[in-house]
Amino acid sequence: MGSTLRAAWHIAVKDLAIEWRTKTAFASGLVFAVLVLAVLFFSRDPTTVSATDIAPGAMWVTFTFASMLGLNRAFLIERELRALDGILLTPAPRAAIYWGKFVANLAFVGAIEAISLPLFVLFYDVPIWRRLGELILVIAMATIAFVAVGTLLSAMVVRTRYAELMLPLLLLPFLVPPLVAGVQATAPLLDGRPLSDVSGWLKLIAGFDVAFVTLAALLFEVVLDE
Amino acid sequence: MPPENTGFMVAAYVIVAVIVVGYAVSLLLRIREQRRR
Amino acid sequence: MTLRERGNRIARVGTVVTALALLGLAGVYVRAIVYTPVEAAQGAAQKIFYVHVPSAWAGLMAFVITGLLSILYLWLKDRRLDLAAAASAEVGVAFSAIILTTGPIWGKPIWGTWWTWDARLTSTLFLFLLFVGYIVLRGVLTDPGIRGRFSAVIGIMALFLVPFIHLTVYLFRTLHPAPIVLKPSRPSLPGDMLTTLMLSVGVFTVLYTGLLMLRYALGLLREAREEELADAS
Repeated sequence: MGSTLRAAWHIAVKDLAIEWRTKTAFASGLVFAVLVLAVLFFSRDPTTVSATDIAPGAMWVTFTFASMLGLNRAFLIERELRALDGILLTPAPRAAIYWGKFVANLAFVGAIEAISLPLFVLFYDVPIWRRLGELILVIAMATIAFVAVGTLLSAMVVRTRYAELMLPLLLLPFLVPPLVAGVQATAPLLDGRPLSDVSGWLKLIAGFDVAFVTLAALLFEVVLDE
Repeated sequence: MPPENTGFMVAAYVIVAVIVVGYAVSLLLRIREQRRR
Repeated sequence: MTLRERGNRIARVGTVVTALALLGLAGVYVRAIVYTPVEAAQGAAQKIFYVHVPSAWAGLMAFVITGLLSILYLWLKDRRLDLAAAASAEVGVAFSAIILTTGPIWGKPIWGTWWTWDARLTSTLFLFLLFVGYIVLRGVLTDPGIRGRFSAVIGIMALFLVPFIHLTVYLFRTLHPAPIVLKPSRPSLPGDMLTTLMLSVGVFTVLYTGLLMLRYALGLLREAREEELADAS
């Protein structure tokens, strides 16, 4: 158990270090998020649709697509450097590779969300302060869902020629429960309602997280076997 | 007096037949293609 | 028995089963249209029920079987399990197409709108898309071992996805109930209608089996062809 954690940590740190040195994926993810937020803001009739009405949807669509960009990058690095073979040669337990990637992806996506969120508040003028903590909790839980499944799927599609197309194609059906739950939970929270009002959605995301983090971790080995 | 919507029923039944028969035929054709040397 | 011989044999049996199922389908059509009474409140369109519901049953069965076969494949590593899982997936996509077309055609006269985000249609939509992705993925992966393993992963995850989509729609519905134009009577079906439905479910089950055999045979024959090409070179 200890060696798995240590190996996972090393893998996560390595991934994040590589990403930090190039910063390409991070920068593109951020620019992308800003663009999506802006486009969604302007693609409506302001006299009939208020910014607060579309705000939850806009925020979540932005997070989802920025996440997918980040997830693709994670394994592209490996493929370019054929580094995965190297990792597989080490005595690191297979499970550690999943957890390491999972943590690195979570950090990456989390960073993009952390920077997009203030921009979102700025553009859409939403009163986020009333329920900020609760909102962050919902975002965190849904992000765990995205990254859990996304890490597994990106490992699979990276070896295909159409990785950028295959990842969204396969991933989006799995994102429907956490995404819908996220949007539906966000709207009341932005309205100032308490967390107990959205407990149903929270339980759904929590159940999804438990089921799919476990499943993805178990199935990851299958994907790595050479 | 039941509403007049037989058209919908016919459309649906035709579509089902088309999909089912079409898929079955496509399978048979694809199998035949594999049998050719 | 060689792969090719087995493929040919299953293709022959599959053709017979499918032909029988198609005859049965014609019989169901006649019974539903001519010998089953028209529902007073909903009219003739209600009879779409007799093809829509059995398709949903067959589609669900197809995807569950793909999931189960995927688990078995990862456990036993027999390539035939992978071929069978892929066959069931493709047949499932065909039935899903039926559900997704008959659903709206039924919905328009009965519910007033072409599309309703109810649990069954929504799950079918996302399963349909996911398994189209499954088939596309299989298309771009050339190594049979990798193709089998990766497909199995998708198949198993799809199995776990279904209850969550149902839950999502259920929660959504309780919070945002849809306006109902005509509420279709669900609980008790009069004898004639129930019999027609059960007959149809039986026919669609046989149809699934026949189509599955044909698609499985196709997979076997393709593999036989690849082996023969490899041996020749």
